[in-house]
Amino acid sequence: MPVYTAPLDDMRFVLNDVLGYESAVAGLEGYGEATPDLVDAILDEAAKFCENELLPLNLPGDAEGCTYENGVVHTPEGFKEAYTLYAEGGWMGLTCDPEYGGQGLPKSIGFAIEEMICSANMAFGMYPGLSHGAYNAIEKWAGDGLKDLYLPKLASGAWAGTMCLTEPQCGTDLGLIRTKAVPQADGSHAITGTKIFISAGEHDLTGNIVHLVLARLPDAPPGIRGISLFVVPKFLPKAENGGWTAGARNGVRCGAIEHKMGIRASATCVMNFDDAAGWLVGAPHKGMRAMFSMMNAARLGVGMQGLGLAEVAHQNAVAYAKDRAQGRALSGAKYPDAPADPIIVHPDVRRMLLRQRAMTEGARALAYWTGMQIDIAERHEDEAVRRAAEDFVAVITPVVKALFTDHGFEAANLAVQTYGGHGYIHEHGIEQFVRDARITQLYEGTNGIQALDLIGRKMPEGGGRLLRRFFHPVQEFLFAHSADPQMKEFCRPLMAAFGQLQQVTLLLAQKGLADPEESAAAASEYLRFFGLVAVGWMWARIAKAVLEKAGDDPAGFHAAKLDVARFYMKKVLPETASLGLSIQAGKKPLMAMADSAF
Amino acid sequence: MDIRKVAVIGSGMMGSGIAAQVANAGVPVVLMDIVPEGAESRNALAEGAVARLLKQDPAPFMHKHNARLVEPANLEDDLEKLGDCDWIVEAVLEDLAVKYTVYHKINLFIKPGAAVTSNTSTIPLAKLLDGMDDAFAARFFITHFFNPPRYLRLLEIVSGPRTDPETLGAVSRFCDVRLGKTVIACNDTPGFLANRIGGYWIQTAINGAMDLGLTVEEADAVGGRPMGVPRTGIFGLMDLVGIDLMPQVAASMIASLPADDPYVRDFREHDLVRRMIETGHTGRKGKGGFYRLNRESGEKVKESIDLATGDYAPSRRSELESARAGAKDLRALTEHPDRGGQWAWRVLSNVIGYSAALVPEIADSVADVDAAMRLGYAWKRGPFELADRLGPAYVAGRLRDEGRDVPALLDRVGDGTFYRVADGRLQVFGADGVYRPVERPDGVLLLEDIKRAAEPIERNGSASLWDIGDGVACFEVHTRMNALDPDVVTLLQKSLKLVEKEFKALVLYNEGANFSVGANLGLALFAANVGVWPMIEGMLENGQKAMKAMKYAAFPVVAAPSGMALGGGCELLLHAAAVQAHAETYAGLVEAGVGVLPGWGGCKEMLVRHTLDEKRPNGPLPPVAKAFEQISMAAVAKSAQEARDMHILRESDGITMNRDRLLYEAKRKALSLSDGYEKPEAVDLNLPGANGKAALDLAVEGFALQGLALPHDRVVAGEIATVLTGGDTDVTETVSEDRLFALERQSFMTLLKTEPTLARIEHMLDTGKPLRN
Ligand SMILES: Cc1cc2nc3c(=O)[nH]c(=O)nc-3n(C[C@H](O)[C@H](O)[C@H](O)COP(=O)(O)OP(=O)(O)OC[C@H]3O[C@@H](n4cnc5c(N)ncnc54)[C@H](O)[C@@H]3O)c2cc1C
Repeated sequence: MPVYTAPLDDMRFVLNDVLGYESAVAGLEGYGEATPDLVDAILDEAAKFCENELLPLNLPGDAEGCTYENGVVHTPEGFKEAYTLYAEGGWMGLTCDPEYGGQGLPKSIGFAIEEMICSANMAFGMYPGLSHGAYNAIEKWAGDGLKDLYLPKLASGAWAGTMCLTEPQCGTDLGLIRTKAVPQADGSHAITGTKIFISAGEHDLTGNIVHLVLARLPDAPPGIRGISLFVVPKFLPKAENGGWTAGARNGVRCGAIEHKMGIRASATCVMNFDDAAGWLVGAPHKGMRAMFSMMNAARLGVGMQGLGLAEVAHQNAVAYAKDRAQGRALSGAKYPDAPADPIIVHPDVRRMLLRQRAMTEGARALAYWTGMQIDIAERHEDEAVRRAAEDFVAVITPVVKALFTDHGFEAANLAVQTYGGHGYIHEHGIEQFVRDARITQLYEGTNGIQALDLIGRKMPEGGGRLLRRFFHPVQEFLFAHSADPQMKEFCRPLMAAFGQLQQVTLLLAQKGLADPEESAAAASEYLRFFGLVAVGWMWARIAKAVLEKAGDDPAGFHAAKLDVARFYMKKVLPETASLGLSIQAGKKPLMAMADSAF
Repeated sequence: MDIRKVAVIGSGMMGSGIAAQVANAGVPVVLMDIVPEGAESRNALAEGAVARLLKQDPAPFMHKHNARLVEPANLEDDLEKLGDCDWIVEAVLEDLAVKYTVYHKINLFIKPGAAVTSNTSTIPLAKLLDGMDDAFAARFFITHFFNPPRYLRLLEIVSGPRTDPETLGAVSRFCDVRLGKTVIACNDTPGFLANRIGGYWIQTAINGAMDLGLTVEEADAVGGRPMGVPRTGIFGLMDLVGIDLMPQVAASMIASLPADDPYVRDFREHDLVRRMIETGHTGRKGKGGFYRLNRESGEKVKESIDLATGDYAPSRRSELESARAGAKDLRALTEHPDRGGQWAWRVLSNVIGYSAALVPEIADSVADVDAAMRLGYAWKRGPFELADRLGPAYVAGRLRDEGRDVPALLDRVGDGTFYRVADGRLQVFGADGVYRPVERPDGVLLLEDIKRAAEPIERNGSASLWDIGDGVACFEVHTRMNALDPDVVTLLQKSLKLVEKEFKALVLYNEGANFSVGANLGLALFAANVGVWPMIEGMLENGQKAMKAMKYAAFPVVAAPSGMALGGGCELLLHAAAVQAHAETYAGLVEAGVGVLPGWGGCKEMLVRHTLDEKRPNGPLPPVAKAFEQISMAAVAKSAQEARDMHILRESDGITMNRDRLLYEAKRKALSLSDGYEKPEAVDLNLPGANGKAALDLAVEGFALQGLALPHDRVVAGEIATVLTGGDTDVTETVSEDRLFALERQSFMTLLKTEPTLARIEHMLDTGKPLRN
């Protein structure tokens, strides 16, 4: 059975010492109560819930999986009880609007909790995660009637939500959607079509399920400009005692569930809509806009899945590496009395562990920073500050999604590698991380699509305005600290990589103008380059925070931070050099060969 | 005959506009009208017209002083004033009786040899001359201007069998060289060239849009970019010229054309148009037209009219696939099955067919027809150029397949095209089936022609260097809107070295709509957003080096701008040894509008110009204050004449009225300077330093208090003041040009690193308008 202890020390350190959480967020309108003490208490509680309730269900849930019978889906044993505890504990509504029964806490706290949930049991996390997506879309785009009806139900966890985009012929290219919506006399729409791969499409956790469905109106323009968003409940809401309950069954049914590589405790459903009653969310044909607001939050959520998996994989790898004894340290036996040294003495094993840790901890800082920017974007009193934060979130979202999930998969793989053959055996729970991690690189827009989003949409936006929200702070940081002798070892490598990032950014912006294929050819490498520098910036900030606190460090926490920071600067960040070369090679090496020659 | 004085009879919109343009040429002009009943002044009409001219926007006068050259007069007391006029233009009502009265009245007073012309747009010459004696007929013909006469370059001239060639030649030359018009000789047929085809086009385009159910936005989306007929689209153009013009032109055309002419055959009266005119929705001059800006909600909302119901609704961008698919390929556009594609084919096939059937009846050459449509109706291409784009054989084939008439001319050109290039020269297909070179008048030199026959001496993606003969080279920028980017600077530096070795002089010139709109802001913004400050500063410094090398070159550099010469484009003018400017040059240092300051020596050169101004008051502050006012207000000259006022042009710099003659005259100027050319002496300035800056800051403070300067205006003005006062200096020291360059760089970079400046640049790129922050 894998182990997991929520990294609360690191979380607190990042929030309080590195990112200045209190001054940035507690001052925002409505967030005055989010003091470090309250945040601490919430994180403690969440950690307990994840460690005690969710973690134990993870491996058995994977083994048992979801089962399908006649349109009904059963989640694995214990899931329903855990979900009920989760909902009753108020976790679902933690960051939701108090007007709809939420607790109105900052989104950034939600990030830390999401990370813990995904470490403990990612498949479980899918259910509340999708409800959140549905909540966001309705809150932002629906009219008051729909909001008053659905938001309290979603915030309390009484009902769950889904996102229904994918169809058999349409995955990445949502312009191909065929599901139809026909207006009805009563103002509703009749929705007909088949959606596939719908996470949480059907299950036994809640009394009702609220599907958010992309479909086409009869007069829709072709392609992506003709898609509208609808809310389609599994049971039609019925007014009762001044509230709403699940009423008659709507025309939406689960036709089957998928048998799949990972997240087996999460139901992935074929959903058949047959004249199901649906209500328009937002304006006709503007469904993509609404969907994007949901998808952006969801993409960050998937990034957190990557981070959570990386953390748990790393914790287990470390535990194993300290325990498993094989061979001798090349510098001489460390435990001469034992038959062999623990494998943590071996440089190659340490390489794996440090790779996991350096990226995970840096990514955590970036994730929480992003969460704070979301809070600022929503609540700051100064419009210019709000806009700047919004810009930052927009540009960093694809980076967080793709970089973190690639890392989640790599870290899980490294954990298997650390375990050797034992990692390949189900009962240790390590190979499950690899399988679970794999989906995060695919859904919510494959990582290749994230890279295209970064280079094709975010980069040119406003003549590079979104980029400015990243490039200028990094530059200002370097400007302020590179002369500091203690910071030199961190600032120098970052400055070199950052300078190169500036150059390739200019290069790709120019090339992309003349030939979009040129920039697309470099997209994935560019995203990684960008992400490595972003995480490098975080490490430099971490180092700065540690150096400022110098002295009191009984547990060696701070010293270790500096060691990992050095590892990142010397052994991870240099990857940018090779990415730079590859980017400069242009599209030709990719496009020269004829399709038929493959 | 030399035309030294002109009279215009009729002070309406056309008459007064023609008078203003004559004044713009520096020629005195008598503007006459009738004596209105009960008016205090007997010249009330002409005086009122001059007052109106001074208020109109866009301005009919190139400089407000030109109004002094217009002498208001009346047709009762002042007829002797015609006695010393060499050319009398009649621009009275389109009423034969009224015109006859005028002719008979003036005939007694005009001096022998003077020309008399009518600006009629609808009455045939033969009719105007009906019953006039041979002496009058010899001096009389039609000069048809387009509205507004200052800005539209087309002039149609219709002469008759009795016209005296010398008189005709003198007026034509005057209109060409002095008034800057492209003179096109037309036959005496109804509507001449432009209105005949243009009127037919309006009719067919509107009928087609109504029949096929296109919205106003859709028709303009298809007609605009893809067809270029014109760029604003049909409805946008109608709003601009006035919708009430439509039935007027149509009525006169229908009255004079035979019933089987397609113009008459296809004519329909549209209820919508009638109602719009009745309710005053005549376009921009009225309450709005096919488009309008609705301000009811407090915000400006652009609305379009529904062609079926006549109701206005917020404009919706066209979603027509054809406009996208046909953006680059006219044939694909006309083959697209959606209503936009169908409309495009209907309009193009009708217009091309109609035009082809009218040559040689209305004009001798298809090139004249094309030029008339380009210059009179703002089409990007004329009908025969459009036919070439589609392929004449393709058009003929499709017409035939549809069972429609194929005009003989279209048939005759067969698989060929109306234009072709042979031996490096442009040739045009004649109605007789023979290709002939397109001849340019004496004194016209076009880079376009040079480029057909030669390869550039040097070239990169942004600029080229050409040999334009007689030892003169021409540096041409050819980026989008002729924005200046690092490649332009690189090639300029290279060119300066090359010209020094192999040529006598260099001309800076291009045939784009604008000389240059300044530095490539998109590139600058992106570089700033990414924070590559050293690179940006390097670009600045490199530009400065190029400007300096140009100014102190061993040979003369003559800048020949037309259209906008803004920011960096203006700095090119300031560093050239001389300027030969097209009269329609709009120059200015507009950097402050986007939150920066002139960084390629613009601040420095304006200081030098105002310091060297002999008429300036004494002391170090006046030239600084002048330059400061100009640069901090981002002032733009609205003509070459105004640019001279602002010292962007010197007294010795030349102005060319006719766009087509610009290169020729610039080259001549360059050659005349090259003999014994001596490069200018470096100027060291005494600048007031901190004291001066305090004075300027105080002035800005005052503006701010009056609400005239916004918060960031003050920041920008502060940096401009720092540069112009010489930074850390005082009057006892001298400040070198290099030091000023350095100050410009420093202040430019400071401003570029501010958020409001970046917001200004982004807003300008996004909307084309300055952000007020
Ligand atoms: C377990 C699981 C859960 C899911 N949950 C949901 C859900 O809840 N709701 C939902 O709507 N969907 C869900 N999906 C669907 C998921 O989002 C899609 O599978 C994903 O978007 C990719 O679409 P696709 O599988 O059709 O791949 P395709 O779109 O066919 O892509 C195949 C490959 O081509 C690449 N590619 C495609 N287009 C381009 C392009 N333009 N440029 C470059 N590369 C391109 C992709 O990156 C990918 O590598 C889920 C899928 C799974 C497996």
